[in-house]
Amino acid sequence: MSDWSFEDLQSWDSRITSIAKSHGLDWYEIAYETIDYHEMIGAMAYHGMPSHFPHWSYGKSFERTHNMYNMGLEGLPYELIINSDPSIAYLMKENPLYLQVLIMAHCVGHSDFFKNNRTFKDTDAINVSRRFRSARQRIQGYIEDPTIGIDKVEDLIDSCHAIQYQIDRRGRMRKSEKDLRLDYIGRIKNDKDGKYKNFNIDKLPLEPEFDVMLFITENCKKLENWERDIINIVHEESLYFMPQIRTKIMNEGWASFWHYRICHELELPDNLHIPFMKSHNQVLRPWGGRINPYHLGFEIFKRIEETKGIEECFFAREIHNDESFIMEHLKEDQARELNMFTYSPKGRKNPDWSVDDVVDEEGWPEIRAALIKSIGGNGIPIIYVEDVVKDTLILKHEHDGRDLELNYAENCVKHITKMWKGPVKLFTQLEGEHFEIS
Amino acid sequence: MSIFREHKTTADRSASDRSRHKKKIEKAIRDGITDVVADESIIGHDGKKKIKIPVRGIKEWQFIFGDNEGHKQVGSAPGQDVQKGQVVKKGQQQQGQGNKAGNDKGEEMYEVEISLEELAEYLFDSLQLPDLDRKKFKKLLQSKPKKHGTRTNGIRPRLDKKKTAIQRLKRLAASRKTGTVEIDPETGEEVFPYHDNDLRYYYIKDKPKEATDAVIFFMMDVSGSMSTNIKYIARSFYFLLYQFLKHKYEHIEIVFLAHTTEAEEVDEDRFFKRVAAGGTHISSAPKLAMDIIEKRYHPSSWNIYAFHCTDGDNWEEDNVAAFDAMRQLAGYCQLLCYTEIAIESDRPKWQSDKTSKLWDNLSKIEGGNLKLALLGNVQDIWPTFRRLFGGLPDV
Repeated sequence: MSDWSFEDLQSWDSRITSIAKSHGLDWYEIAYETIDYHEMIGAMAYHGMPSHFPHWSYGKSFERTHNMYNMGLEGLPYELIINSDPSIAYLMKENPLYLQVLIMAHCVGHSDFFKNNRTFKDTDAINVSRRFRSARQRIQGYIEDPTIGIDKVEDLIDSCHAIQYQIDRRGRMRKSEKDLRLDYIGRIKNDKDGKYKNFNIDKLPLEPEFDVMLFITENCKKLENWERDIINIVHEESLYFMPQIRTKIMNEGWASFWHYRICHELELPDNLHIPFMKSHNQVLRPWGGRINPYHLGFEIFKRIEETKGIEECFFAREIHNDESFIMEHLKEDQARELNMFTYSPKGRKNPDWSVDDVVDEEGWPEIRAALIKSIGGNGIPIIYVEDVVKDTLILKHEHDGRDLELNYAENCVKHITKMWKGPVKLFTQLEGEHFEIS
Repeated sequence: MSIFREHKTTADRSASDRSRHKKKIEKAIRDGITDVVADESIIGHDGKKKIKIPVRGIKEWQFIFGDNEGHKQVGSAPGQDVQKGQVVKKGQQQQGQGNKAGNDKGEEMYEVEISLEELAEYLFDSLQLPDLDRKKFKKLLQSKPKKHGTRTNGIRPRLDKKKTAIQRLKRLAASRKTGTVEIDPETGEEVFPYHDNDLRYYYIKDKPKEATDAVIFFMMDVSGSMSTNIKYIARSFYFLLYQFLKHKYEHIEIVFLAHTTEAEEVDEDRFFKRVAAGGTHISSAPKLAMDIIEKRYHPSSWNIYAFHCTDGDNWEEDNVAAFDAMRQLAGYCQLLCYTEIAIESDRPKWQSDKTSKLWDNLSKIEGGNLKLALLGNVQDIWPTFRRLFGGLPDV
């Protein structure tokens, strides 16, 4: 059925890897697994993890992906690689050879990015598979425990998923509440100008806590051990995936930049080169109403190489995340070439959406600001723990001009209430007015 | 060099997660159905009408931003003309009414279009008939002709064309081997007409089939105290019961009995629309039902179901008679359900008890063929229904 054998893959791989090495790419060893369509959709549902705990939402994800492919809404080459050492990547058996070559070259770029980008330095790639397996085993144990069971476990995971990205996405070093307390006690002792005169050292948290899940596991006294463990498992998974959310544009841009270069240097014969170019253009086409991360990332890396040389590209892939990358490297002239614009709904009920800014002297800063707000995890609202008043968990939404979707927010608050096992209040703004959800 | 290996296939990995997702969807369909069941427009229609049931996708809640002016989207369209103020997405025009749920952000809606019959099937397949006295289920043997293999003899209308053609092909293949196929000298093509031996006919055999007949008595208090709201709930409830029983029995007859102090057999339209002044003797309805059973529906050949809806406002003097009549009627029925409909907001303040005296008395002998139900609003219908027919409790 397929036009390739294992030997074909191996011989193309050895050429790909030697070209990649000659350019100074440095990646984890890649373990390619050949997989059929059905298994691929299954692997995608679990983010490619060889082992993952069960939850109905992964079944939903499977169905949705399956439906989309069936309806032809999605036709991209199947590419899936996980940030682990070695990096596990999947090659779908149904794919023709040229696509496998493209994917293998692309995967080298991803793995290099995982290994070298600063955002990923705490993801502990070597132990990823083991950690996910252990999490699955523990959750399986709770499911089989007659006093707990699948329903309770799934309900709790539902709640965890509602706030899975309410973690400190900037990856700042976090001080434990205990250390923070000692810190503040020190400050109060040395307080010369009376700044801390009325400071309440018993306030919880002493500083706004952006990691809502962690705050709950550390401070909710009513949690049972298994509950705390499950929250920690989901929390750990969020920490693991957050770097990928924060570097989507760079990661895809870098991988595309390299698959393009490597495939050119492979001097593919026409029967592979022509379909390769077609697929490449398909993946990198601009999406019009949305930013295609493959396209934007690829174009920026290309521009850096043209203007500052390849060394600068390697430097950028090491130190940046999407936000800093865009700030540093996307300039007005390139945005104009990419014909970027912003648009928004005008009004509340079934409004028309119209263009607000195009790239010109006034428009560019607006576009840049809107772009920054939508990338690198900034599209997720920031919620933080402000206080605990008599058992009531007080949350605040860091409002930046964008209102929360109310129905979703209300349901999330319900989930947090279940986890906290006590009252929860969330303060936000809606249409310019203060708004409280509880 | 990278590593290459075949993916280790264990069992279909996401199968159990998929099945739990499916269960959630099915529950959503059922939940959607309870709304639909209460929708006036479908009540009283025959089974052919298609209805659309909006089913909400199973949501995974997260904090997300809504669509508002402060939430600008960024696009990139190289080579295309994009002007300030240009409309890039038209607001969707509201279509008709209803369907309101589909407008929420991120709302995934499955719209399932089904006929009433399918709906009934969907609703009721998970349910089972009450574990009542199964011996009483009437086993009326009817014969029904069914196709049963083929024969070489038969009448023209029963010719099985496919099998016949196959027979000819078999014969053709055999003839080719022996070289006996005639060739048309002009066209050079094989000439191989059908032969009588090729013909195959369906054999029709009478198959005895268990058929079941049922009669449903819908009884309702139509006295002055029954408000439109109460009747509406009753009507929805009866609709569901009718659909269910129709699904279970091949032949169903319905008898509508409206009563004040006197009961009377009426047609469906009058049953629901009639407004009568006067008091209430609940006993009148079961008494009339028993008369009718004696005359037209002998319990040995009919499955009898009886449902009674009232607001519970029976006249004191009739309570004993009503109790006796209900108990007696229950003896004839597979199921007799006495239903009180009490809408919280309609309830007079002085009436503190939730249920009537008759209810309290009947509740002492509830069980077996006699069941009681209390409906406060349309949302109660489905759970009550499930309880009556012994369906599994909602998860």
